[in-house]
Amino acid sequence: MAMLKIENLKVNYGYISALRDVSIEVDTGEIVTLIGGNGAGKTTTLMAISNLVNKADGTVLFKDRDVSYMSPDKIVQMGLSHVPEGRKIFPALSVYENLIAGTMGNPSLSKQRIEELLDFSFELFPRLKERTKQHGGSLSGGEQQMLAIARGLMMDPSLIMLDEPSLGLAPILVEEIFEMIVEIRKAGKTILLIEQNAAMALAIADRGYVLETGDVVLHGTGKDLLVDPAVMKAYLGY
Amino acid sequence: MKEGSYANMWDTPPSYSLYETGEAGRMDYFLNQLINGICQGAIYALMAIGYSVVVGVVGMVTFTHGEVIMIGAFAAYYMFFLSGNQIILGLIVSFAASWVLGYFVYKVCYERFFNAPRHVSLLTTIGFSMLIKNLSQIIFGPNQKPMLDVVEANFFRIGAVQISELQIVIIITVIIMATLLSLIFNKTKFGIRLKAVSQDKTASYMVGINVKRVAMLGNCLGCGLGGIAGLLLAVYYQTIQATMGGPLGMKAFASSVLGGLTDVRFSALGGLCIGIIENLGITVTTASFRDMFAFGFLILVLIIRPQGFVSKKGAKV
Repeated sequence: MAMLKIENLKVNYGYISALRDVSIEVDTGEIVTLIGGNGAGKTTTLMAISNLVNKADGTVLFKDRDVSYMSPDKIVQMGLSHVPEGRKIFPALSVYENLIAGTMGNPSLSKQRIEELLDFSFELFPRLKERTKQHGGSLSGGEQQMLAIARGLMMDPSLIMLDEPSLGLAPILVEEIFEMIVEIRKAGKTILLIEQNAAMALAIADRGYVLETGDVVLHGTGKDLLVDPAVMKAYLGY
Repeated sequence: MKEGSYANMWDTPPSYSLYETGEAGRMDYFLNQLINGICQGAIYALMAIGYSVVVGVVGMVTFTHGEVIMIGAFAAYYMFFLSGNQIILGLIVSFAASWVLGYFVYKVCYERFFNAPRHVSLLTTIGFSMLIKNLSQIIFGPNQKPMLDVVEANFFRIGAVQISELQIVIIITVIIMATLLSLIFNKTKFGIRLKAVSQDKTASYMVGINVKRVAMLGNCLGCGLGGIAGLLLAVYYQTIQATMGGPLGMKAFASSVLGGLTDVRFSALGGLCIGIIENLGITVTTASFRDMFAFGFLILVLIIRPQGFVSKKGAKV
């Protein structure tokens, strides 16, 4: 069953068209990755799904409901968590407050469940546990990225969209983050992953889409794309 | 200081006794002015706290705060008439009246302009403040009204320094309000929402916060505090006037500049500074220079550190 279905998505920034015609499907329990170079429209796609940019055209169905023009916070409250690119954590909130802010998207969470989710986050990212009282802005880049992911998980979403979780991280951390993503899927989440690091993303993904200047040019299973000559040449550096 | 009528309410220092002449007298006068300055600064601090909550949470500059303060003062004025000087009732009513006005300010000036250039909301707030000011002159009358005495005019003396009961009531009220606000910001989930929205609206949407609702409530909360500041000012000066908001809104703005408009603690400090500078300033000049000192302070801060003395973005308490 398609949990998330995007049809003919089109987004313009002024006169520049950022997305021309993007159609994507994410099934329940899958890891789906969107790969592509800079400016291909990956982040814009996620922003359009969350209705944080205006769409020129297209529909977004989430859990069989049309959310194309729903208020962004309502979409989140339906169970779609958006972990943004870079450092979109709350810099002047403590790590703990950042995580609690993450629960705002799901008002039905009980106190006990929040405790469990906190424990789960600290299990995934033990480093955050040592820094609960520290301000988000004082964390290192890698820790901020972990915090962003943990915050996205705090609402116990059914689908989590990760925007470049490995951006700007040391190689050893990148591996750690990808291991986390597999862990998160094991916990029953569906994942839509955006990555520049195509090799690693495709290695853990069930399916992948290749985006180029606002169009989906290729899609297939992660394994197929990994050995696709065009993908190898353009994104894997062979 | 001689008794008599003053042309402008701001020329009237609130309470004076006769001082000894000579060097000792000057010192006593100075100390008393310091007390007056702290008291007035406490009220300015409350105005500035409200102002920086509004600017921090909504993310847009407001010029309606003076009118919000004025409405709070008038609400208290009528409540005191009806209830017979119940100060608690007055506080509640002025908070509520300014809260309601804040709601309209939000609806008219902000709600549709979150994605517009920043000067749009600036203009809408200026326009809306003119509307309220002129409507108030029609409804409440253009003349100064004498405020009722809600606190008995008792004085406490410590040496030559005297503090009135009113001043103590004012300072305690401000401290209670600031403490309550700090508790809301730091101990409640609503506080986390307010801080999140003030730091990053997009990220707040991404965690499922209803940003517009939180901005509305934050705006109303800041305005409510402004209303209480209005009550305190009216009681302190014992006069109110429909046009009183103008310089007050500017002083709230000037105080907040110290904290880059959004840091609540620095705004409060700024308000306190302006109150003290004003009252000490007029000891060496005359009372009509009061505003010169307040806005001189603003200009000084803007020259030295236009971004304020805090670097982090977002409202903090």
